[in-house]
Amino acid sequence: MSRSRSALLADGLGKRYGSKWALHDCTLEIPRGSVTALVGPNGAGKTTLLQLAVGLSKPSAGAVRVLGRDPRDEASSVLPQIGFVAQDHPLYRSFSVGEVLKVGRRLNSSWNDELALERIRRLDVPLEQKVGTLSGGQQAQVALTLALAKEPELLLLDEPVASLDPLARREFLESVMEVVADREMTVVLSSHIVADLERVCDHLVILSQSRTQLIGPIDEIVTTHRLLTGPRTDPAIVARVHQVIRASHTERQTTLLVQANGHVYDSCWELHEVDLEEIVLAYLGHRREQVAA
Amino acid sequence: MTWVAVRLQRTETLITAVILLLIAGLLIPTGLSMAHAFSHDRLSSCVGLDPSGSCANAVGEFESRFESLFNLTAWFTLVPGIVGVMLAAPFVLELENGTFRLAWTQSITRRRWIATKLAVPIATGLLLSGVLILLFTWWRGPFVHLNGRMDASTYDSEGTVVIGYTLFALGLALVLGVVLRRAVIAITLAFIGYFVSRIFVDTWLRQRLVTPVSATWKSSHAQPANIFHADIISVTGPGLVQSQAGPVGSGSVHVRAVAPPFPLPSSSLTHAVYQPPSHFWPLQLTETGLFLGIALVLIAFAAWWTHERVA
Repeated sequence: MSRSRSALLADGLGKRYGSKWALHDCTLEIPRGSVTALVGPNGAGKTTLLQLAVGLSKPSAGAVRVLGRDPRDEASSVLPQIGFVAQDHPLYRSFSVGEVLKVGRRLNSSWNDELALERIRRLDVPLEQKVGTLSGGQQAQVALTLALAKEPELLLLDEPVASLDPLARREFLESVMEVVADREMTVVLSSHIVADLERVCDHLVILSQSRTQLIGPIDEIVTTHRLLTGPRTDPAIVARVHQVIRASHTERQTTLLVQANGHVYDSCWELHEVDLEEIVLAYLGHRREQVAA
Repeated sequence: MTWVAVRLQRTETLITAVILLLIAGLLIPTGLSMAHAFSHDRLSSCVGLDPSGSCANAVGEFESRFESLFNLTAWFTLVPGIVGVMLAAPFVLELENGTFRLAWTQSITRRRWIATKLAVPIATGLLLSGVLILLFTWWRGPFVHLNGRMDASTYDSEGTVVIGYTLFALGLALVLGVVLRRAVIAITLAFIGYFVSRIFVDTWLRQRLVTPVSATWKSSHAQPANIFHADIISVTGPGLVQSQAGPVGSGSVHVRAVAPPFPLPSSSLTHAVYQPPSHFWPLQLTETGLFLGIALVLIAFAAWWTHERVA
C-alpha cells in the first residue's frame, strides 16, 4: 500500500454547476497529521471541496487525491479510511441512537463498536432515544461518533459547528481535540466562524471567491503577518518587499496589513501583531473600521 | 445495507400493509358469504347457459345482492398505484433529507447502495401485488364463473397486470423523485401520471394490444354463445347506430344487454368486434410486459441519475 505524504491533494481542482464555478483552479496540499481549518465565507467552495474529497461529486477540472488515491474511482478502498460529517450533520431522524450505530456497524468494514458506545455513554444519551428528539449539539456529536468509529485516517467535517449554540460548539470542538490527541488522524474542518478554530487547528486554508487565498501552518501565518501603522504613504512602496493584504488610510496615517517577507526594517512603521481572526477577515476582504489616529 | 433499507422503509411497509389488511378485511368475509351463496343457490349449474327460468332468477338475485360491493371493488384498481408510489418514498426522502451523504460516506459504494435501495421496494411491491392478485382472484371466483373475467374491474385485478401497474407506479415516482428531490410532490405527480396512463391504456390502448375477433349474426337471433362472456369493442348494425364503445373492460356492453331502441327488421344484422375470453392471457401478458418494460426503463433511469447526477 502506497503511503502518500499528503492526506489531501488538490491539483487545479474545479467544480462547475452550469456556468458557475463553485470551486475554481484549487491547488492545495494538506499534510498528514495536521488539523486544518478550511475557512471562507458562505459560497466560497468549502463544501464543494470537501464533497469532491470524499467522492460525493465528480471534478469538472483537475484532480483530487485522498490518502494518495482517487476518491471516486477507488471509492471502496478510500471510503473506509475517511470519516465524513456533512453539513447539517444529516442523520436518520426516525432512528434511535442505537439504530444509527447499527447503521455504522452494517455499512462499514472496520467499525469500533466500543469506541462508539463509549462516546454515546459520555454524551449521556440513551440508546433508545430517537435521533430527531436530540438537541442540535447532541445530533452533531452522534454524527461525529459515526465518523470516528470507522477509525478513519482522515476526518472531514463540513461546517460542523455552524448550526450549534456557543456551548455546544465548544463541546464539539473539544471532542475533536480529544480525538486528535488520542490517535494519529488528519482532520480538515470547514467553517465560516473563525473564533475557536485557533485552539483546535494547526493549519489554515482560506478559500474565497472559489479560490485558495492562503494556505499554511497557523503559527507561521500569525508570525509573518503584521499590522503596520505610519505616516500616510503609498502602499506600493511597501508592496515592493512585502505582500500588502489590506490598506487603509486616514488624513495623516496609513495602516497596512502585510505578510512580511522577512523583517520590516523601515523605522517609520510601527509594527503590531495581529490575531488570526483579523488576518482571515483581511483576506476575505471584509471592511473593518479604520483605525483612528 | 439490506437491514438499513428495510428499516428505512418501515413506515411505508406498514402503511401499505394496513391498506392490504383493510382490503382483506372487506374481501375475506364478503368473499366467504359470496362463495357460500354461490354454492347454496347451486349457481354453478347455471354457468354458461343463457339464463332462463329459475337460473335467471337465482343469478339475478345473486348479482343484485353483491353488485354494489362488486362495483366498489372497481376502485381497488388504484391500489397498485398507491402502493407503488408509496414504496418510492424512502429512496426519494433520502435524497431530499441529504442522508444519502451519510450513507455514501460509510464504506459501501453508491452502486451497492442504489441496488439495495431499489431491490427492497421492488421486492415489497412484487410481494404485495402477488397477495392482491391472489385475494382478488379468490374473491371474484363466483362472479368470474358467471360472467367471465373480461370486464374491467376483474381484468385489472387478476392475472399479472397488477404486478406491472405496481412497478410502473414505483418507477414513475422514483424518476420524478430523483429529479425533483421532493418526495411529496414526486409522489403526488406520479400518482396522477399513473392514473392518466391507466385511463389511456384502459380506454384506448388495451383493445389494440391483441387483434380482436368479430362476429355477425341476425339481429333477431340471440347472440352466439361463444361471445356470451366476451367484452364487446363495438356492436353495429341497422338501428344500432351507436358504436358500443368499449374497451375490454368497460363491462357495460354485454351482448345480452344490448337492446335495440326499436324493433328491427328481421333481416338486419348485428356486428360485433370483441375480445373473447380466450384473449385473456395474451392481453394480460402483453399489457404486463408493456408496464414492466416501462417500469424497468424508469427504474434504470432513476438509478443512473442517482449514480451520476446526485452529489
